[in-house]
Amino acid sequence: MSLSADLSGTKGAVHAHRPTGTAMAQDRGRPRVSRLGLILVAPALFLLSCFFLAPVVLTGVFAFTNMSTSTGIGAGEYVISPNLLDDLADAGLSEEVVTAISAETYEITPDGIEAARAGGVSADFLRDIEGLLLGDGFDTARGIETALRGLPSAPRSPRSLKLTAEFFGHSVLNQRFDSAQELTEALSLAVPDVDAGIRSEIVGASYTGAIYTTENFTYLATQPSTMRLVANTVIYVGATLSIFNVGLGLFLAITLFYMPKRVSSFYSTLWLLPRITPLVLYTIMWKWFTWEDGFLPLLAEQLGLPAFNYMKGSVITAWMTMISVNGFVGASFGLILFSGAIRAIPTQQLWASEVDGATRWQQIRRIILPQMRWPILFVVSYQTLSLLSSYESIWLTTNGGPGKTTTVWALEAFKTALSSYTGNLEYGLGAAMALVLVVVGLALSIIYLMAFKFGELVGRPRIEF
Amino acid sequence: MMTRNFSTIPFIIVITLISMPLMVMYGFLILDTFTDAPAGELWPDRFTLKHWRFLYDFSEVGNVWVATFNSLTLAVSMAVIVLSVSSTAAYAISRLHLPFRRFFLAGILVMHAFPAVTLLIGTFFVLNFSGLYNTMIGVILVKASLLLPFGIWIMKGFYDTVPWEIEMAGVQDGASRFTVWRRLILPQVKPGLVALGVFAFLDGWGEYLLPSILAPGSDMQVLSIFLNDLIAAERVGYDFNLFKSVGVFYTLPVVVLFVIFQNRLMNIFGGGTKG
Amino acid sequence: MQLELENFTKCFDGTPVIENLNLTVGDGEMLALLGPSGCGKSTTLFAIAGIYRADGGRILFGDRDMSDLPSQRRNVGVVFQNYALYPHMTVAENIAFPLTVGKKRPPAAEVDRKVREIAELIHIEELLARRPAQLSGGQQQRVALARAIVRRPDVLLFDEPLANLDAKLRLEMRSEIRRIQLETGITAILVTHDQVEAMSMCDRVAIMDKGKILQTASPTQMYRAPVNKFVAGFLGNPPIVFMDGVVAADGMFQMGQGFTLPLPAHVRGLPLGQVITLGLRPEHFGGAGAGMASGRVSFVEPQGRETLFDVDVAPGVTLRSIQPMREDVRLGDTVNWAVDVENMLAFDANGDRL
Repeated sequence: MSLSADLSGTKGAVHAHRPTGTAMAQDRGRPRVSRLGLILVAPALFLLSCFFLAPVVLTGVFAFTNMSTSTGIGAGEYVISPNLLDDLADAGLSEEVVTAISAETYEITPDGIEAARAGGVSADFLRDIEGLLLGDGFDTARGIETALRGLPSAPRSPRSLKLTAEFFGHSVLNQRFDSAQELTEALSLAVPDVDAGIRSEIVGASYTGAIYTTENFTYLATQPSTMRLVANTVIYVGATLSIFNVGLGLFLAITLFYMPKRVSSFYSTLWLLPRITPLVLYTIMWKWFTWEDGFLPLLAEQLGLPAFNYMKGSVITAWMTMISVNGFVGASFGLILFSGAIRAIPTQQLWASEVDGATRWQQIRRIILPQMRWPILFVVSYQTLSLLSSYESIWLTTNGGPGKTTTVWALEAFKTALSSYTGNLEYGLGAAMALVLVVVGLALSIIYLMAFKFGELVGRPRIEF
Repeated sequence: MMTRNFSTIPFIIVITLISMPLMVMYGFLILDTFTDAPAGELWPDRFTLKHWRFLYDFSEVGNVWVATFNSLTLAVSMAVIVLSVSSTAAYAISRLHLPFRRFFLAGILVMHAFPAVTLLIGTFFVLNFSGLYNTMIGVILVKASLLLPFGIWIMKGFYDTVPWEIEMAGVQDGASRFTVWRRLILPQVKPGLVALGVFAFLDGWGEYLLPSILAPGSDMQVLSIFLNDLIAAERVGYDFNLFKSVGVFYTLPVVVLFVIFQNRLMNIFGGGTKG
Repeated sequence: MQLELENFTKCFDGTPVIENLNLTVGDGEMLALLGPSGCGKSTTLFAIAGIYRADGGRILFGDRDMSDLPSQRRNVGVVFQNYALYPHMTVAENIAFPLTVGKKRPPAAEVDRKVREIAELIHIEELLARRPAQLSGGQQQRVALARAIVRRPDVLLFDEPLANLDAKLRLEMRSEIRRIQLETGITAILVTHDQVEAMSMCDRVAIMDKGKILQTASPTQMYRAPVNKFVAGFLGNPPIVFMDGVVAADGMFQMGQGFTLPLPAHVRGLPLGQVITLGLRPEHFGGAGAGMASGRVSFVEPQGRETLFDVDVAPGVTLRSIQPMREDVRLGDTVNWAVDVENMLAFDANGDRL
């Protein structure tokens, strides 16, 4: 799509409007909302909301969570683990409370009896328990076991007694609760004397799911590696854009414009190849080109130059490779756009300048380049956006290495959230990093819209029924 | 076209030098698929067809035809979704009265310019919540949706060029707006549909990132993943000639489509999403 | 079918472009909506067609109110300026299209019969298998007309139908369109900015300016008795010449530049000194008449059958004369020609005819 081709929006009603009196607003003349129109846009609206809008919103929401592989995605549970208790004790929770929470207490309840029945305890024994012990409470295992042994139909083996006793036991430790309220209730049963404030603190700390936090952003703001990422990104985008997308694109477009037809169409096609080659194959070709035993190192070896894995072997060569990989694709974007723009220049202008005795260089500088202003602006704004977020080819080539020297912001965000070697994916942090890109991208695309005069693109439908 | 009062030779040399990496890469891409070179040498010394064994011998690399079929499914479904959804939505935006039409169009444009890959993390959440994670349907829906703003925008441009009078004549002739769209307007934008369809197909065919991230455990292995797994897999060693043969096999449909539809695609490539 | 617009009002963006317009077109009549571009004539046409919605008033076909019905339910045929043929269909398919989109689709044989019938009427039988791109402008025009009338519309609308044709074809299509309208007897409206088209093709002409109909009359009536200066100036080629002056003594008209003429009889009784404008058509200067004007010939345009002269009768006052071809008068000659005073048109200071 060249911009000019798309600027052909219909221009409202063609008839000149001549006001003849005071404005009058009547609903009658207003066009009705087209039901067909609503039906026709519905699928697009649905898909865009699901896979464009929702991801933006979710990125925004999860950027403020600490969600990761360990917290899981979705609602978490409330569990008081022994580790957590240790932590709480370290944080000043009183010894008594800790013991009370970890201790198991026993109470003979109808629920417990049902559970025991389901668990295979003999009916006679249960009848006795229900008849004689219902409502009794015991603080220790020994206490309830003694009481059970005293019953007429009690089994002989201590093991059976122990098993039976367990059906009446209560402990909040290591038990999974779906909601904070359930855990609070359980806690108030287990440790009724604990202050409500402390109790809710314990409940809060026991949550295993993701929680809302601004930590991601403070983390990003305080890490020295953040600056490094930003610098890498700026250098990468700036270098690729200026050297390849604009610089080389413009050079190719202008040079090929003056070439004989066969030469120019050969090179145009050659430069288009990277664009149509599937990315995986394209990156494999670059690997072959720069890898040890690949083309360049072998060539260098034969010439007596240092030969190593240029893609990952040194910082300088890694950067050059990374920029070239993207640049060779990007140059064709500039080439297509600029070629179109040059061909749109009326040939008379060029002929006139030649008649006037301008050299070709003057012709380029005085006539062609000034008319390339808008195409260049378009390429820069459009490609800035796509380069900012393009990590696919970096991921498949240098993968940000060696070390993290060629890691750009988008790649790091992607790796943090979705492709970590350590196995712990930090969704929250990744989302926060992506959110930064979303905001930058949104701002840039709105500016770009305003620069290209959006208003002119919207014509009014002319059939009013 | 232009007068030839300047020598073009030095410029041809410069361009050739700059284009060298491409020429070498693509030249050897083709050459290496049917030759072998001695270890540590660049130039092949013998002709061989053994790199193409993967077409029938699945023992080394797995069944390439299943992957081909999967890629085809992905690309075709994507083209179908993108075409049907953008051709309807774009018509409505171009020609029908909708509430918030301006706003919607502005949104489409922002989304079109917006770098969609940054949304991958959010998309991952959406698929997780909707149960579409790790399914090819999820990948297809996401991939198609990401291309929609572009598709709608392109199609709107095509609809805008159809004269209003055709539309007016249609309703005068007693046809409903739907019939007008179906029988009168749609045939006028066929070049756009073809270009967008081919573009969407190529986009889906070449896609690597989404299937690998959003459906890593899917049974449906597409060609891009098939190819990249070859490199990652230790068992075949680093056999670039094999990679290249699979790669050429993978790229062949792209080249064919491109040759057939070159002119129509050129218009659309300028606004393409590839960096 | 009789067509009637009753207090029709149309606004764009809240600004009225047409207010309270009233118009009646009789059954089988062909009426021209004539006016300069931007006068609202096409807007009116599109409102009748059901493309624009009226903001006020009613649009009646016979006694049925059509104001709130969409095009599809009005049974109106429209011929557009650029013909709007469907490029992907053959001529036959174009003409058949209106027949095949209704709820009840007639059998193919009947569609075919109707298409042939219309093609015969319009003389395009041999074009039926072609596509619009293979037709000349005039042929496309005919196909558009055939498509518009194949459904036997109640009202037929022409939007500048001849504007895209060259001069010769225009002449031919003028009479063709009129012939077909007369043969089918369909009530028709022609929108045009060309007075010759309006006058030669239509029973009556409605002349519009700035969203208002100034006058509706038969072509000759309107030419002879325009209601105001605008109408007088719009009709006639070469156009009428206006002279601004005052009523002087002895039934004379005097211009500031000193040029005088006798007033036409019906305005002689006006008070002395009243500001008045006289309109003199070229055919009324240089023949017979009660007044005389002399001056230098400043422009000669031989048009074949007739010759057109500009005569400077006073500084800044140029009269125009059209006479049967003559070669005896040349540029720079001084002439003294008669003015047919009684056929002059007189207008008051507001431009209304006296």
